[in-house]
Amino acid sequence: MTLPNYFLADLPAEARLTPALIGEACQTLKHNREVYLANRATRDLARLLSAVAENWLQADDPFRRRALELGPAQLGFSRPTLARGLDAFFGQLTPAHLDALLVQELGHAHRLDELCAASAEQEHRRAALARGPEFLVHVAAGNLPNPALASLVLGVLTRSAQFMKCATGAALLPRLFAHSLYDADRKLGACLELAEWPGGNADLEEALFREADCVTATGAAETLAAIRRRVPDQARFLGYGHRLSFAFVARENLHGFHAKKAAARAAADVTAWDQLGCLSPHVIYVEHGGSVTAEAFAGLLAGELERLEQAEPRGALPAEQAAVIASRRGFYEVRAAHSEETRLWSSRASTAWTVVYETDPRFQASCLNRFVYVKGVNDLTQALQSADGVRGEISTVGLAVSDERARDLATVLARWGVPRVCPLGQMQNPPLTWRHDGRPSLGDLVTWTDWET
Amino acid sequence: MTPDFSDFTARLRRFISRSAGRRSAEAGRAEEFAGLALELFALQMAHNVPYRRFGEARCATPLTVTDWRQIPALPTSAFKELEISCLPFTERTVVFHSSGTTAQRPSRHFHNAESLAVYEASLLTGFRATVLADGFPLCPTGSPLVCLTPPADQAPHSSLVHMFETVRRAFGAADSVFVGRVAPDGGWELDLALATRRLEEATEEKRPVLLLGTAFSLVHLLDHLEAAGRWFALPAGSRVMETGGYKGRSRSLPKPALHALLAERLGVPPAEILCEYGMSELSSQAYDRAPGEVGPGTGEARGWPRSPGGPRLFHFPPWARTQVISPETGREAGVGDTGLLRVFDLANVFSVLAIQTEDLAIRRADGFELLGRPVLAEPRGCSLMAAEEPPPPAPARLRAPRFAVA
Repeated sequence: MTLPNYFLADLPAEARLTPALIGEACQTLKHNREVYLANRATRDLARLLSAVAENWLQADDPFRRRALELGPAQLGFSRPTLARGLDAFFGQLTPAHLDALLVQELGHAHRLDELCAASAEQEHRRAALARGPEFLVHVAAGNLPNPALASLVLGVLTRSAQFMKCATGAALLPRLFAHSLYDADRKLGACLELAEWPGGNADLEEALFREADCVTATGAAETLAAIRRRVPDQARFLGYGHRLSFAFVARENLHGFHAKKAAARAAADVTAWDQLGCLSPHVIYVEHGGSVTAEAFAGLLAGELERLEQAEPRGALPAEQAAVIASRRGFYEVRAAHSEETRLWSSRASTAWTVVYETDPRFQASCLNRFVYVKGVNDLTQALQSADGVRGEISTVGLAVSDERARDLATVLARWGVPRVCPLGQMQNPPLTWRHDGRPSLGDLVTWTDWET
Repeated sequence: MTPDFSDFTARLRRFISRSAGRRSAEAGRAEEFAGLALELFALQMAHNVPYRRFGEARCATPLTVTDWRQIPALPTSAFKELEISCLPFTERTVVFHSSGTTAQRPSRHFHNAESLAVYEASLLTGFRATVLADGFPLCPTGSPLVCLTPPADQAPHSSLVHMFETVRRAFGAADSVFVGRVAPDGGWELDLALATRRLEEATEEKRPVLLLGTAFSLVHLLDHLEAAGRWFALPAGSRVMETGGYKGRSRSLPKPALHALLAERLGVPPAEILCEYGMSELSSQAYDRAPGEVGPGTGEARGWPRSPGGPRLFHFPPWARTQVISPETGREAGVGDTGLLRVFDLANVFSVLAIQTEDLAIRRADGFELLGRPVLAEPRGCSLMAAEEPPPPAPARLRAPRFAVA
């Protein structure tokens, strides 16, 4: 399968992008959107999105096959890791979930189609219509593909012309997804553009941002600040900074089979997307008081990571990143040789996975690529005290906890400022209705017209 | 000190003086190195408690280790975390620290008179064979050294300053000078007026000068000379030895650009500019010249290998050997492959001879090409990591090296 040259990102590497070219692409997109997309029904678009997603879940889908063929070399994930990530993402894109998203964020499934009212609005004789941006620009980050795919999905729902600036070397999956949309509906495909250039190219980005009425960006705080400065005043800017995540295993889950199950779920979260996402855990806090100690849990986790490595190996790393892991392992190896308070488990003759157990509960950022800390704590309160240094930067907390305690612990986490609490094992599988960094992803894109009757 | 160490030290010093200016691979040197390394490993396992624990945790003991390449290499981060020394506490009369900011825990290398004597024998023998080879006029007729660091009395624990001071005492003319000083905030700064004056004097007196400094101090000096509109044509035979990274204290320059600027501003030909790789955890230094290679037209004439047109290769003297280790597998990297540099330094008699650095290098058939410290600069993965310091030091990020990153 050869991809046709539909998008700028399809052009050969030597093709030079110019501000004029970007400007023309923007005009074409806006025109196409006006003609082909602006008046489509949300239900049709949702049906289209879920049909495309359904295709991506099929083993013989040409776009999926191509993603799995080229992904390992281009993106650095092993084929099974990619397959799991794609299944998790596209499995969410169902008509029911899209409908739930519309209702959650806009109060009504037809909100983008017509003036309509939910029951509370009817009581007050009000109705409203939400409009998406005419021209939506995304600046995508390079670590994981699914946030970029999710951004494109939201832009389709809001019927926006979309231009995605992909991070260098990370265009493959957004490109394949865009091609699959084009394949399913050429008119919709004509309202999408993707290009790849190293971030910070002021000439190209100025030409692009000038046309936008909304810019979303994902990346480091400095990157976001730099983009925000260049977005014109009339455009809305939505920045998603990098975040950290951790997990908490409660004492009632630290017995026999439950402990092993929790370790397997923690391993699933560490291996998903090779731990490179903001939702991946850096630290697993293990509550004292169960029959399986934190140290023993670390050993169980190591066993699960080794088992998963066989089925779903970590991607190959460049020497620089392997060196960071090797050096950090060396540091903990020395510490472990001198203290009962540190232990190290690691894959043999590779950097595939590493578990560091420490009695010191202070939150420790991992160097990622399946390198995780296990730390014992008296309770969730102590875990949060230990993570105080990264308060406000947390995305997700994965919980392995009894039903009886779940609500209380989730409430404590919510009050502390954690935007997402989920079951352990699901940290990298946020639902479509997930509020990204605690904000309504779809709701933040739209502008409302209220009608008081 | 125990007779074991004294006997070993005496034989090592004979080995050092016999191998001066030679290559490691020469017949006899390799065998002698191997024997001394195993002997020193046994001594260090017996007398260095933290190292013994590390070795035993790896099940590596003098009974199981039969080849010097199997000697367990201690990560440099251990020198921050633990007191790595064979010297009893009461004999540790001097300690040198790695450079770095005050917020970081430095690496520490403890010495007594005997270990300092070995260090100096290693340093001076290696220095004379490379930096001073081929006609650099030595004391007492003397050429001045201009050191771009504070003097030893202002930085008594800096391993770099100690190195320069040792070289000055051995080789420098009486009017050699340290043109740096310790600023009120503890950082180092240059007395640029003094530095300029010394270069002027050397030029007027037609005495070749040896300029020693870190890459960042050289950039600082060059920036000053540029701002002042000054050029020098330092007398023939003048040399520059560059060491150390930039660490964000001046604008950073790729090494070829720095050398080109040095040549242009100071009038020192590129053949007379060389780089040193060293660290406080080691007692020997690598240079990007083979012995005798420095100076116009001297290297090839003696048949020393070099990589034509490519980056210069670093070499340790015959009493220190290196391996480039694949970080992925932990095994020695193939020729041409990138890995972490491991150094086996016999002159590290009283600490640990096998040191695992965090510096990336490319293994070459003869020597190694230095790439420097890997940077977690958001290649993949969350960039928040780049800003996150693990509490107690992250080995990959905190230790400040003393070498120039190309």
